[in-house]
Amino acid sequence: MLLLGQILVNGVLLGGLYGLMALGMGLVWGVLNIVNLAHGALIMLGGYCVYFLYTGAGVDPFAALPLAMAAMFCFGYALQTFLLSLIIRSAMLNTLLITFGLDVMLTFLAQLFFSADLRTINPPYAGDNFDVLGLTIPVAPLAAFVVALLLAGALSTVLERTRTGRAIRATAQNLTAARLHGVNPRRIYALTFGAGAALAGAAGGLYGMVSQITPYVGVTLTAKSFVIAILGGLDRPLGVIVGGVALGVAEAATALYLDPTYTNVISFGLLVVLLVTRPAQLFERA
Amino acid sequence: MRRNLTLLLAALAVAPSLPAAAPVQGKAVTLGAALQLTGALANTGRYYRDGYQIAVDRINAKGGVAVNGTRHPLVLRLLDNQSDVNLGVRQYVQLLSQDKVDFLLGPFSSNDALDDSSVAEKYQIPMVQGGGASGQIFARGYKYVFGTLPPAGDYYQSTVRMLKRLSPAPKTAALVSADDAFDVAVAKGTRKICAENGLEIVVDKQYPEHNAEFSSILSLIKSKDPDVILWSGHEPQALNFIRQAKTLGVSPRLMYSFTVGVPTADFRKALGKDAEYAFGMTPWLPSADLRDDWFGDGATFAKEYQERFGYQPDYHAASAVADVETFAKAIEAAGTLDHAKVRDAIASVDFRSIYGHVKFEQNGQISMPQTVVQIQDGQVLPIFGDDFVHKPRYPLPAWPKR
Repeated sequence: MLLLGQILVNGVLLGGLYGLMALGMGLVWGVLNIVNLAHGALIMLGGYCVYFLYTGAGVDPFAALPLAMAAMFCFGYALQTFLLSLIIRSAMLNTLLITFGLDVMLTFLAQLFFSADLRTINPPYAGDNFDVLGLTIPVAPLAAFVVALLLAGALSTVLERTRTGRAIRATAQNLTAARLHGVNPRRIYALTFGAGAALAGAAGGLYGMVSQITPYVGVTLTAKSFVIAILGGLDRPLGVIVGGVALGVAEAATALYLDPTYTNVISFGLLVVLLVTRPAQLFERA
Repeated sequence: MRRNLTLLLAALAVAPSLPAAAPVQGKAVTLGAALQLTGALANTGRYYRDGYQIAVDRINAKGGVAVNGTRHPLVLRLLDNQSDVNLGVRQYVQLLSQDKVDFLLGPFSSNDALDDSSVAEKYQIPMVQGGGASGQIFARGYKYVFGTLPPAGDYYQSTVRMLKRLSPAPKTAALVSADDAFDVAVAKGTRKICAENGLEIVVDKQYPEHNAEFSSILSLIKSKDPDVILWSGHEPQALNFIRQAKTLGVSPRLMYSFTVGVPTADFRKALGKDAEYAFGMTPWLPSADLRDDWFGDGATFAKEYQERFGYQPDYHAASAVADVETFAKAIEAAGTLDHAKVRDAIASVDFRSIYGHVKFEQNGQISMPQTVVQIQDGQVLPIFGDDFVHKPRYPLPAWPKR
């Protein structure tokens, strides 16, 4: 029983981080209709930002998160303005091609500049934990979970309450109507992609604290984010976190009760089941 | 043209009278390999790239390979398989069919070597590979494939032998291994070793190599409370395992050991203090006792390697050097570049290298003992070979007491 509880704790905490990874991907997908295959590479870059801020400048990793997010926002904003704006509203295949190319480029540039060394963001408290009712609660994953919730909440508030947020949602729902009301879609797209990149940056920093950063972590993370973005839905930030938690718990339980080698079968199996049972809802959103 | 011809004739006339010390320069002998220069395994792939390069350069600096008085320089032809097994196989075909390389060196990792070696066998071109340890590679009756890593199934042999002599002696073990060719072979061999030595396996779990998330396995281990953890996998996963073990407060009662990672500088750097106490194993340590015709000894080799490439070599690099040296020795012994004859010469090489004693078993794989190592104060110390070399830090303290 205690073991089951521990598995749930592990799954939920990990799932929160998964959710944060998918948040930016879902946002960009929902608003720009771009399935960003370079999303994992953006997470990787965010991880390196935090890593170098921590090891090079001695900035605490959690304090470095906003800095990394700001840097990634600018990067994402520029990327959208100068590159991705070329393919906006073109066929899905084009967006897949260009983001795939971007992913390959960022990955190999990262190896060129940062080498293939394994990097961990390892502040003294990264390995700490405390006990609650016999369950071990690890500090770093818990903090990552809280950050994920906060960011999802913040994104949700921005989208619902602010003028820019409304403009973003309006652009996603009906571009023509939004333009008629004076929304500048170019700016909205750039802002959205920037926000997506910033969220990826935060996820990368947290990922480096619980796991490790190499130039090659991106591909797996893109795949995970993809599944979760669909699980959680593209227009509700908190739904994406829930999707992440669902995946985290499913993986943890599979690893214990079936076999760890089946975790990928289960997560992508979930995706298939979902696509079969809820297709209408998905396509309405996408 | 006519003038050139005259010169040539003159040169030919003079040639026999030249001192015999200047040997005839023969055509270059090309060694080809497709390895992980980029991609998930690039971190270990570089040991092979740099190991091959330093060995080829050194052999050439010492005059190349002598075949019946003709000295042939060695040339490397390396392709980047991007850590993709299927691409690697195609590249080995390309190396043989288009680039027409003379002989083959191997890629890193058992999964790759398993598939790539089939190309060598099919074309009947000798391959000496230092990156695949799985017994599977050598269980297919291939004639042209040789390996300089000792069998994966035996990796935990010396560790378990050491455990029997430590007090308190462990009784239960958790076995955690990845699902690739190397680790499956390690797990299979380790189960047998544990059974023979009365070590009961209470947790036996495999994890997917590409999704190394250990929290469930670690929680299970915590609930079973084993004396030792015998872990098998590659370096990035070992790193995750130790970090997650710390965050979840999971520690075996007595010790844990890892097949890969512990001897590597990068591993210690990434983990810092958390790398302490980890046991591992290596078939090679940079020792001055390992003499060699080309580098002098193992310690000198390690120093030169570090100076040239900026990081310390580990057994992967030494194994790569031994592969190139094996070709040099075998070609000289065969006295020809003929593939079949060089193959036979490789099968009977028997020489001392900075890597160790190179001699292949009937199935083509080397047989070497693994030295148990442990990280103590940031250094990799040899602990146990046939007997104790250094005192192990044992048992392992729980995380909060470290």
